[in-house]
Amino acid sequence: MRFALKPGHVVLLLFFIAAALLPLFVDPRGHLLRVAAMALLFAAMAQSWNIIGGLANQISLGHAAFFGLGAYTSTLLFLRLGISPWIGMLAGAVVAGLAAALLSVPTFRLKGHYFALATLAFAEVLRVIANSWADLSGGPVGLTVPFLGTQPLSFAFRAVSSYYWIILALLVIVCVVFYVLAHGAMGYRLRAVRENEAAAEVAGVNTFRVKLVASVISAALTAMCGTVFAQFTFFFDPDSIFSLSGISVRMAMIAIVGGLGTLGGPIIGALFLIPLEEVANAYLSSRAAGLSQLVFGLILIAAILIQPRGIMAFFPKTKGKTQPKAQPATEGARG
Amino acid sequence: MTVATLGRRGAVAALLGAGLLAAGAPLAARAADDVVIGVIQPLSGPNAQFGIGSLRGIELAADTINAAGGIKALGGAKIKLVTADVPTPNTAAAATQRLISQNGVSAVIGAFVSSTTLAASEVTERAGIPLVTFAFADQITGRGYKYVFQVSPKGTVFGAAQFNYATEIAKAAGEKIDKIAILYEDTAYGTAQAKGLRDAAKAAGVEVVMDEAYPLGITDVSPLVNKLKASGAQMAFPVSYLNDGLQIIRALRQQNIDIPVVGGAAGYIIPDFKKGLGDYAEGVLSVAAASGDLIPEVAAEYKKKYGTFITHEALIHAAALDAVVQAMEKAKSADPEKVRAELASLDYCKGFAQGVPGGCIKFDANGLNASSFPVFVQWRGDEPVTVYPPKAAKQKPIWRGKTVE
Repeated sequence: MRFALKPGHVVLLLFFIAAALLPLFVDPRGHLLRVAAMALLFAAMAQSWNIIGGLANQISLGHAAFFGLGAYTSTLLFLRLGISPWIGMLAGAVVAGLAAALLSVPTFRLKGHYFALATLAFAEVLRVIANSWADLSGGPVGLTVPFLGTQPLSFAFRAVSSYYWIILALLVIVCVVFYVLAHGAMGYRLRAVRENEAAAEVAGVNTFRVKLVASVISAALTAMCGTVFAQFTFFFDPDSIFSLSGISVRMAMIAIVGGLGTLGGPIIGALFLIPLEEVANAYLSSRAAGLSQLVFGLILIAAILIQPRGIMAFFPKTKGKTQPKAQPATEGARG
Repeated sequence: MTVATLGRRGAVAALLGAGLLAAGAPLAARAADDVVIGVIQPLSGPNAQFGIGSLRGIELAADTINAAGGIKALGGAKIKLVTADVPTPNTAAAATQRLISQNGVSAVIGAFVSSTTLAASEVTERAGIPLVTFAFADQITGRGYKYVFQVSPKGTVFGAAQFNYATEIAKAAGEKIDKIAILYEDTAYGTAQAKGLRDAAKAAGVEVVMDEAYPLGITDVSPLVNKLKASGAQMAFPVSYLNDGLQIIRALRQQNIDIPVVGGAAGYIIPDFKKGLGDYAEGVLSVAAASGDLIPEVAAEYKKKYGTFITHEALIHAAALDAVVQAMEKAKSADPEKVRAELASLDYCKGFAQGVPGGCIKFDANGLNASSFPVFVQWRGDEPVTVYPPKAAKQKPIWRGKTVE
C-alpha cells in the first residue's frame, strides 16, 4: 500500500483538527456539543457500515444488531460483574464479530434485497430476545448506566466534552480502518465483489472469505460505537437500541446520502443529517406534531433526487484510485 | 464543470452551513419576567395521542395559572411553555438538553412514556433541573435520583391495585375469584404492571391460568382470546395501549365472552376507546391514576376547550405543572436548585392537585407522590366514572350487570 497525501486527506485532517478544538469554544455542557457528539458518533457508525455496505455493496439493514450487542455487552458486564466498560467495549466488539461471522454463513448466499431482509430480521430477533429474556437483558424497561461522576477508568465523565473527544477518537480509528481496508488488497477484492461477484470468484478471489472479514470488522466497530452510545446517553432499551428506523436505516442512510463507499461520505452525511434533524426538531416540533419529521424527510428525498451518488459527488475527484468509485445509491441493493 | 453543478454544490454548501449555524444559535430570546418551563411529550409516533392529551392538560394548567395572575411570588410572572416532541427514547436526551441549555428552562414536565422519561431523567439529573413526570415505571424513582418527581403511583402499585380492587369488588358482589388471566403488551409499562398483578395474585393465593405477553403492534388477537376462553379464567386483566385494547375487547364481546375485563389504564380510558368500540365499551373497568370527576370544574373547563373529557394523563400532567408553580411560589425564585428543594418538601392539596386521588401532592425521599393511590373507573355512556375505592368513588361499581353495594 502506497500512501500519498491528496487534497481530500488534507481537508479530512483539517476537519479532525477543527473538530478536536470545538469543545474549547462552546459551552462544555451545552446542547451544541451534544449534537456535535451525536453527529460524530453517527459518522463513526455509518463509516463502520460503509466497510461492508459501501465497499462490498452488501446493503445491511440490520446493523442495529451489532450496535445493540455492543451496548448490552459492556453495560451488562459493568452492572453484573463490575468490569470496566473500556474492557466491555472490546468484549462487545468480539461478541458482535462472532455474531457477524455466524450471520454470514447463511446470509452471504443471499443477494441484494434478500440479504437486506435477512440482516433486518436478525436485528429484530435480537430486539425480541432482549425484550423477553428479562433475566439476562433487564427486559423492556431497558438498562441504566449508573451515574458515577468523573471516573475515567470506568468510562464515566461529567462533561460532555470528554465523551465528545472519545467519540472523535473512535471516528478517527474507524476512518483509518476504512482507509487501510479500502486501499489494501482487501479493498480491491471487496470492489471486485461489488462490481461482479461471479467474475471475482473466477479471477480467484475467495469472495466468501473477503465478505466475512469485512463483515466481522464492520460489526466489531459498530459494537464499539454501541458501547460509547450507552455510556454517553446513560440509558437504552431494546426498542431504541435495536431500532430499525433509529439505528439500522439511519446508518445506511447517512452513508448513502454522504456518498456510498467513500471515505468522506459518512462524515459529510452525518454532519448534514444529524444537525438538520435537530434543527427541524428544535424549530418545528412544537408547531405541529410530526412536522419536523415531514420536513426532514422531504429534505432527504430532495437530497437523494438532486444527487443520487451522495454529497461527496459534488466535490471534485482526486486523481487516480484514492477513492473507490461511488455507486449510485439507487443501485445499492443490486447485490 | 458546468454552471449547474456549481449551483448545486453551492446550494449544498449553503444548506450545510445553515444547518450548523442554526444548531448553534439560541432558539428564542426569553422575555425578562417569563418563567420558562419545558415540556417533553411524544407528539408524533405511536404514543402521540397520549402525548397530545398530556400537553393539553399542561396548557390548561398554564393558562389557568396565567389568567389568575401568574406566579405571585415572582411579581406575577407568566408561565411560558416550551414544547419538544420526543417520539422515541433516542430523541429524549438531545431534546431535553436543548430545553435546558437553549431555552433555560426552570423545570421539565413529561414524558408520558416511561422509557423516554428514563432517558430524559439522565440529562435533567446531571444538569440539576427538576423533572416532574406522570410516567410510572418503578425505575423512575427507584434509582435514588434527586431531581426526578413522580406524581402518580408506581407501575407495580397499579398492577397490584388492578388485581386487589377487582377481587374486592367481585367479593362484594358475592363471587370468589380463583383463576385470572393476565395479558400485557411487552413494553416497560406492560411488563411492570403485569409483574404487580402477578405478585398480588400470588399473595392472594389466586391462580394465574394465563400469563401472556404480546407485541405492542399486535394485529391479530384471536389466538390470545381463544386461549383466554379455554383458560377458565374468571377475570381478565389486559394491560394495553389503544389498538391492542380495542381488539381484545371487541373480540371478547363478539364471541359473547362475558368474563369481567379490567383494563390497565393507558388505552382503556381515553375518548378513542369509546369511539373505537361504541356500545362494547359500556361497563369496562380500568385502573386509572386520576379521573375528571374528582375535579369537576377543571374537567368542565377542559371539555369546553378541547371537546373531550379530561384524560388521566392530562390531569396528572396539569397537577405536575401546578406542583412546579407552587414550588416556585414557595421558593420565590425560578432557580432550578431552589425549585427542587421546595418540590422535595411540598405538601400541596389545592388547585390541580385535587384531581390526583388522595387530593394532594407530597413527595417522599425518592420523589414519589406517596399520598396518591390508583382508582378504578368504569365506562358509563361517553365517559369513565370513578367507582372504586369507596373513599374516592363517585358511583357504585357494576359487576356482571348488577350494581355492587
